[in-house]
Amino acid sequence: MRGRATGARVRARLWGSLGTLVLVVLAALIVPPLFGSGSTVHYEAIRLPPGWAHPFGTDSSGRDLFVRSLAGLRISLLVAAISAVVSTVLGSAVGVAAGALGGWSDRLLMRAVDAVNAVPHLLLGIVIVSLYRGSVVAVMLSIALTHWATVARIVRSEVLSLRERPYIDAAISGGASRLRVLYRHFLPAVVPQAALSAVLLIPHAVWHETALSFLGLGLPPHMASIGNILGDGRSAVLLGAWWLILFPSLLLVATTLAVSGIAATWRDRVVPRRRSELSL
Amino acid sequence: MTACTGADEQESEPLLRLDRLSVRFLLSPRRRPGSEVRAVTDASLNLRPGRVLALVGESGCGKSVLASALLGLLPANAQVRGRARLYRPDPVELISAPESVLAGEVRGRGVGLVPQSASTHLTPVRTARAQLAEAVRALRPEAGAELVDELARRVGLRVEDLEHYPHELSGGMAQRVALALALVADPPVVLADEPTTGLDRPLVDRTMDQLGETARRGHGVLLITHDLSAARRVATDVAVMYASRIVEVGPAEEIFANPWHPYTAGLLRALPEGGFEPIPGHPPVLTELERLEREWGCVFCQRCPDMPGFAPCTGNPELIEHGGRWVAAHAPC
Amino acid sequence: MLSGTGLVAGYRKGVAVLDGIDVEVPAGRVTGLAGPSGCGKSTVARVLGLLQRPWEGRVSVDGDVVDGFRHSAPRAQRTAIGMVFQQPRPAVDPRFTLHEVVAEPLRATGRSEPIEALTEQVGLTAELLRRRPHEVSDGQLQRACLGRALALRPRYLICDEMTAMLDASTTAALVRVVDRQVEEHGTGVLAISHDEALLERWAGRVLRI
Repeated sequence: MRGRATGARVRARLWGSLGTLVLVVLAALIVPPLFGSGSTVHYEAIRLPPGWAHPFGTDSSGRDLFVRSLAGLRISLLVAAISAVVSTVLGSAVGVAAGALGGWSDRLLMRAVDAVNAVPHLLLGIVIVSLYRGSVVAVMLSIALTHWATVARIVRSEVLSLRERPYIDAAISGGASRLRVLYRHFLPAVVPQAALSAVLLIPHAVWHETALSFLGLGLPPHMASIGNILGDGRSAVLLGAWWLILFPSLLLVATTLAVSGIAATWRDRVVPRRRSELSL
Repeated sequence: MTACTGADEQESEPLLRLDRLSVRFLLSPRRRPGSEVRAVTDASLNLRPGRVLALVGESGCGKSVLASALLGLLPANAQVRGRARLYRPDPVELISAPESVLAGEVRGRGVGLVPQSASTHLTPVRTARAQLAEAVRALRPEAGAELVDELARRVGLRVEDLEHYPHELSGGMAQRVALALALVADPPVVLADEPTTGLDRPLVDRTMDQLGETARRGHGVLLITHDLSAARRVATDVAVMYASRIVEVGPAEEIFANPWHPYTAGLLRALPEGGFEPIPGHPPVLTELERLEREWGCVFCQRCPDMPGFAPCTGNPELIEHGGRWVAAHAPC
Repeated sequence: MLSGTGLVAGYRKGVAVLDGIDVEVPAGRVTGLAGPSGCGKSTVARVLGLLQRPWEGRVSVDGDVVDGFRHSAPRAQRTAIGMVFQQPRPAVDPRFTLHEVVAEPLRATGRSEPIEALTEQVGLTAELLRRRPHEVSDGQLQRACLGRALALRPRYLICDEMTAMLDASTTAALVRVVDRQVEEHGTGVLAISHDEALLERWAGRVLRI
C-alpha cells in the first residue's frame, strides 16, 4: 500500500513538474518575440501595478514586466543549460580519466577538484567574471569552471566502483586496451549519471547566473536576464513596487523546482534497483 | 488433487501444504505487450515434520520464487493463485494473509529462513552472540540467555565462536550462525534457499547434515537447491521442478534409484558420477511456456531424449499418482 | 606450458593468500586444482590469468617469463589465456547483448569475423544472443562467458569454479565443450573447483592446495 501511495506521489511530482516546465518554456519561447522582448520604454506607464494590460505590472522604465521576465528567463535558461552541459562534459572527462587511470593522475586531478570545491563557488565565479567584465561567455565560463568539480567527483566514484568489476578483468583478458575499456565499459556506464547531473546542474547554474547579474557582475545590462531584472527592481521596491521582485522571483523558483522535480524522478529510475530472479 | 510426499499419508499431519500454487509476473505492457512470466505453475506439495523435502531444478525454473511466495516476499508485479497453508503454530493461509500476520507470525516464528549467502545475511558490526541474543529477545522473550548457548550447541558451534564478528567467521561457521538464527523461535518449518552457494564440498556436506539433524528434531525442512549431490545426502523426499512445474515428486531413495520423469533421469545422468551426459537443448523461455504447453502439451518434449522405459508423453502436465510417487505425463505404465 | 613458480600473492598488505605455490598447466590436457574455500584457488587463477601481479615468484607462458600484468602485459600474452569466472552475472557488462559479450574479444583485437560457429559450439541460439544478461539464466550466461573466453582460440583456459553455480546438465554440457577444445586445439586447461567428484571425472591430474 505504501509503495502505491509513493508511486502516485512520484507521478504527481513528475507531471506537475513537466507541466510547469513546458508551460514556462513555451511562454519564454513564444511571448517575447511577439511583444518585442519587452525592451520598449514607455515613460507614460512607469511602475504600473499588475492589471489586465500588464499582468506582472511595469518597471521603472515603463517596460512590461511579464514579457521582460519571460525574455529574461529565456536568457537565464539558455546560459544555464550551456554552462551545465559544458561543466558536465568537463567533469565527466576529468572523472573518467581520474578513475580509470588511478595512481598519480588520480591524486593530482582530485586535488584540483578539492581546490575548486574549497573556494565558495560564487566567489570564484565573481573572480572569473571580473576578469572579463560583461560578456556572456565569461558568465558561462564562470559557471562551468566552478560546477564541473561536483560532476567529476560523482563520475570518478562511479568509475572506481566499475573498475573492480569482474567484467573489466574479462575485458583485459580478452585483449581490450585501456582506451577500449574506457569507451566500451566506463563511458556508457556513466552517461546516465552524467546526464542526470547535467540536468540537476541547471537550477544551480540559473541561480549562479542570477546572483552574478543581481550583483551587477553578470550579463550586460541590455541582456535582460532574471538577475538583471531583480537587480534593477531592487531599488523600486522601496517605492512600493513589490511586483518588480515578486513575479520574476516566482518565475525563477517555479522553473528551477520543475527542473529538479523531473531530475528527481529520473534519478529514481537511473539508480539501479535489485532485480529478483524473474522480474525481467 | 494433492501430490503427497512421505511414505504413508496417515503418518503425520503436514506442517505445510501447497495446493496448486501458481505465481505469474506481469511484464510492463510498454516493454513486452501482453506478456506474463510463468514462474510457478500449479505446485502442490506437502511438508511433514521430520522430513527434508528437496526442491531441485536449474536456475530460473521458479524454485526460489516459490520460496519467496511462501514468505510473502514477492515483487509488486507478481500475481499469486492457489493455496499455501501453514498448520503450525496456528493455521495460516500464507497467500491471503496480510503483511502484519506474515511479519508477526510467519517469518521467523512459523517459517525459519536459512539464506543463500550467510555471511552477507549477518550484520557486520555485531558479534554472532549479539545477533542471536537480539533474535531471542524479539522472538522468545520468555527464554533466557542460556538459549543462545543451547542454539549454538545444536548447530555445532563452540560457545567461544559466538564472540566473533561475521567477517571473522569462516563461510561454514557463518552458515551455522544463520541456521541458529533461523531456529531461534523453534519454527515448525525451516526453509533453506540455496544454503550452500559458494561453500566447498565438505562444508556443503556439513550444512546438509545439520539440516538433516534439524528435521530429525521434528522440524520440516524445505531445501531449495540446484545441487543434486547435496540434496541426495539428506533429502527424504524430492520434488523436481522444470520450467515452472513440478514434474516429479516422491521419496528420495526411489527417485534417485529409479527416476520416472525423463528430466529427472537426465539430471542424474548429467552428474559426474552418473555419466556426465548433458540434456540436449535449453530450458524454454518462461514467457513462452503458455504457447509451448498449448502446442506440445508438455514443455520438456523438445528436449526429451529417447529414453528406453518411458511411455510416450501424453501431453498432459498434470501429475499422475503411482504407488506413492507422482510424475507428470511420462509415467511408465 | 603455463606455469607459476613460487607464487606469493594477496590483497591486503602483509596477508598472503598464496604462500609460495607452484602450478604447471601443460598444453593439451586438463589439470585440476582443488582445495577448500578461501585457500587461494581464485588468486591462483587471477595470477596465472595475468590479472594480478604476484608479490613474489614468476609466471611464464610457453617459456616466456611475464613482466607486466593486467594492461601492462603484452596483448599476445593476455589473449593466450582465456578466463571463465565462477559467477557469470558480474562477469559481463549488463549493457551488452550476449552477442556483444561473445564478440567483444574479437572486436577488441580488431577482428571482424562472425561468431556463429563459436556460439553454436557453446550451445547458444540466435534468439538467446539478442538478449541481455538480465533476460537469461545463469547457465545461459555462463555459456556466453565460455564462448567469450574461447573467442580468441587461447592456448590456455582457466576455469575458476566455472560450474559452481550451475545445474548438473549445464555443468556436463560446458565440461564437454571444454574437453572438445582440448582435443581439437590442444588447449591447456586449468580446472579449479571444490568439487572433487567433478575433477576426478574431468581432470587427468589434480593439484591440491
